[in-house]
Amino acid sequence: MGPNIHFTHRTLVEKCKKGHRNAQYELYTLYVDAMYNIGYRMLGNKEDAEDIVQESFVRAFKNLETFNYDSTFGAWLKRIVINSSINHLKAKRIPIVPLEAHEFHLTEEETVVDTEIDIQKVKKGIAELPMGYKQIINLYLIEGYDHIEIGAVLGISPSTSKSQYHRAKKKLITIIKTL
Amino acid sequence: MDNFEKYVQEHKNEFDEHKADREMLWAKIEGDLPEQKVLPLWRSRSVGIAASLLFLVGLAASIGFFARNGATEQTQFVDKELIDIDTHYMGLVSQQIELLQNHPNLSQEDKKEFLGFINELDAEYKVLRLEMNKNLDNEIVLEAIVKNYKKRIELIENLLDQINGSKIIDDDYGYTL
Repeated sequence: MGPNIHFTHRTLVEKCKKGHRNAQYELYTLYVDAMYNIGYRMLGNKEDAEDIVQESFVRAFKNLETFNYDSTFGAWLKRIVINSSINHLKAKRIPIVPLEAHEFHLTEEETVVDTEIDIQKVKKGIAELPMGYKQIINLYLIEGYDHIEIGAVLGISPSTSKSQYHRAKKKLITIIKTL
Repeated sequence: MDNFEKYVQEHKNEFDEHKADREMLWAKIEGDLPEQKVLPLWRSRSVGIAASLLFLVGLAASIGFFARNGATEQTQFVDKELIDIDTHYMGLVSQQIELLQNHPNLSQEDKKEFLGFINELDAEYKVLRLEMNKNLDNEIVLEAIVKNYKKRIELIENLLDQINGSKIIDDDYGYTL
């Protein structure tokens, strides 16, 4: 059995907990691009993404003593970035979940994409989605969160997350087909 | 998970297409962080241990050096100083004792009793001479030897003063080295 993945960069994290600036910078360089891309996907522009990355790293370093390796440091930091992004959107009064009435999907539909999928079209399609759909697609498809986690982040129930995701995916495929 | 989801997840890395302005962002982040905890060197455990070891090594080297080289010179210096002290004070003490023993107004019994105190001080002096051989701190021992001599002289002078009434001895010999 290999080493516990949760302890990745443990030495570095422990040094950061003690306030070592060089260790903080080293940890920052390991994660900054990944976090910046998450922020960019969540918020859609460079300036807001930078603000969120800055705020998230500061929060992370200031609260690092609460990190107890229940997850990887990357997952912990990612959660901070996502929560900060959601709060940022809420502060700007941008809807983070679709305004349509929630519905529960009893059966999971198999999505059939008859044309060859192109990743560039997927990116374009996501960019064209309404903000609420975009968040749920990002969180589920790209960030790899499950519906329980998405529900916790967005403040909705897991079933609502699931139904909204299916709507969003359907919408995304429709857009991709038009590209 | 359908084909579409599988495809997107397999190409997940291609969504990380942006590069952060690392230095600019770090400058902002660093500005918001508390001042770096600077552990004073003397409070660092490892530095403390290293310093202690260095001190011990230095101490051992110094002792070794002085034992071989410097100690001889120092011993010679101290020995010379002790000889000077002995020459100076021993003569004074002997002179005072002679005065006391020849004093006509003092009984033999009193003389014997008083010289008993002086002999006790002489015994202390001999102990101090032995301390000098241990080479612990010669300056302190030398100082004690001088005090011992002065005390003997002072006691005899006080006694002679009492015997001679209000006669004041102006000589202040022996109190400065």
